[in-house]
Amino acid sequence: MATATGPSRVKAFGARHRRIIHLVLVVLAIAQSAATYTTATTVREPKAAYDAAAMRGARWYREFNCTACHQFYGLGGYMGPDLTNVISAPGKGADYARGIILHGTQRMPALGITPAQAEDLVAFLRAVDATGTHPIRHVDLTPWGTYRSMHDDAR
Amino acid sequence: MTRADRPARLFLVAALLALWCGALFGVIGSWQHVVPGIVDAIPFVKSRPLHVSLVVAWIFMGAVGGIYHYLPRITATPLHAPRLAWWHLALFIGTGLLIIASYLMGRFGGREYWEFPPVLAIPVAVGWLLLVYGFFRTTARHQGPWPAYLWMWATGIVFFLLTYAEAHLYLLPAFSGNMVRDLTLQWKAYGALTGSWNMLVYGTGMVVMERISGDAGPARSRTAFLLFALGFANLLFGWAHHIYPVPAASWLRILAYAISMTEWILLVRLIRQWRTTLGAGRRERHSLPHRFLFASEVWVILNLTLALLISIPAINLFTHGTHITVAHAMGSTIGINTTILFASVFLISGAHMGRIARIGFRVFNGSLLLFWLCLLAAGAVKGWLTVTTDMAFQPIMQQAWPFIAGFAVAGIGLFVGLTLLVRHAIRALLSTQHATAPR
Repeated sequence: MATATGPSRVKAFGARHRRIIHLVLVVLAIAQSAATYTTATTVREPKAAYDAAAMRGARWYREFNCTACHQFYGLGGYMGPDLTNVISAPGKGADYARGIILHGTQRMPALGITPAQAEDLVAFLRAVDATGTHPIRHVDLTPWGTYRSMHDDAR
Repeated sequence: MTRADRPARLFLVAALLALWCGALFGVIGSWQHVVPGIVDAIPFVKSRPLHVSLVVAWIFMGAVGGIYHYLPRITATPLHAPRLAWWHLALFIGTGLLIIASYLMGRFGGREYWEFPPVLAIPVAVGWLLLVYGFFRTTARHQGPWPAYLWMWATGIVFFLLTYAEAHLYLLPAFSGNMVRDLTLQWKAYGALTGSWNMLVYGTGMVVMERISGDAGPARSRTAFLLFALGFANLLFGWAHHIYPVPAASWLRILAYAISMTEWILLVRLIRQWRTTLGAGRRERHSLPHRFLFASEVWVILNLTLALLISIPAINLFTHGTHITVAHAMGSTIGINTTILFASVFLISGAHMGRIARIGFRVFNGSLLLFWLCLLAAGAVKGWLTVTTDMAFQPIMQQAWPFIAGFAVAGIGLFVGLTLLVRHAIRALLSTQHATAPR
């Protein structure tokens, strides 16, 4: 096996330039992170902010690993439906969600969730529902390869 | 196996075992989509995290094992405090076993991909800190400017730790508070985390290429550093293409779109160098590492094309949350990362191309292609019907069922191919016969 000592005809790129480029990128990333942690992710609708019950619901969602099967905004597992708007979807709602959480379905096993935990989960789903709509069914594309609602800062 | 190289090789053996177990749970999980209730003892809520966490463990342990092996050879100095590498290995294996036990007992608590109870994240981070210390103390003795792969490793190692910490910020109430912030921070961290382990793997690929060709030039070229800067910018800013539908500030998503599109430069460059690679492929066809590097280039072109297309918001509208995203994830972790890491493992172990390896290579790549195409088809059906109709979830999935079944069948082929390759690699790594050549 050959070792890495072969001839190089390629000019080395200046270390100073590299340092400047990396420094600029890191400074921009810190600024972007600060905005992401604060203003870029605030919600306008007060119901979308987690109250104590929704906060507990978010924890039960993790503890029962609901994300293995379900999605919010298309992010999560693929076995079950997206839950972003399960509370406001026609024919569904809080009672529908509570029933499935407690008793399961033909495909979803009952996970042994208590009625109190189910209430917290419903509060969590209600807060999620208030953040927006998914999936986007109104397709309105722009010449730039985007779609119009992507430009709406509807937070 | 020399004494100094023992932790590196054992890291690789542990990584290969994680890959094999992860693939097994992947087969179980895929069949649970096709036949609900199959393998009741390990329901999907357990098989999925077992599959994902073990395959992710393969990627970063496979990359770390390579770094521990190559670093003393690149810097021409022994690894600083080799005992730390042993501690790192012990922490990873011990924590890995605890994570598997917690999943099997149904004890979760973390978020997608890191579903284990968050307390177990601490020993993983401590182990990584040992790598950070060992890496920078060893590279401090390196003479002359760093080649691009050392920069990639350094960036990958540091950003893995930073983004791993960021992925756990949700435990502090100030960093969650609403689903928009929750999802945005989660995918900010995950996007960069994936970028960081890609840096580790692509850096490893560059080292393997250098050692096969014997030409140290490309890893020190202006092009290599420009590509590194491009990858770094995407690691830092490209993550928001995962969250186009999430109603965070629109500038975040538009910025990610613009940054993601810079990767077309990478794709064009890869296609232009294709002829050279094909020529080398003919000369080196008996070299197992080269064959895997060659396969990884095919997968890079296929996946990068897919990634670029689904990063265009108008297309993403139809593909987001569908199996096309899974095809992209599988194509990247198996097609690109796994093939590069196999090239590295076979180079380190000195394994020869035998009948088993040849069959394993063909079955692995053939099955992966079928697996990938079935996921694309299933995703196309789901995406189109979701956006253009009011159909409910289950009827849509019934339409996609033939492709889901095809993906589960291909998964078995993939598992068989991986089993042959993992067996071949572990035997070579533990063999004393191949351990003498300095690679």
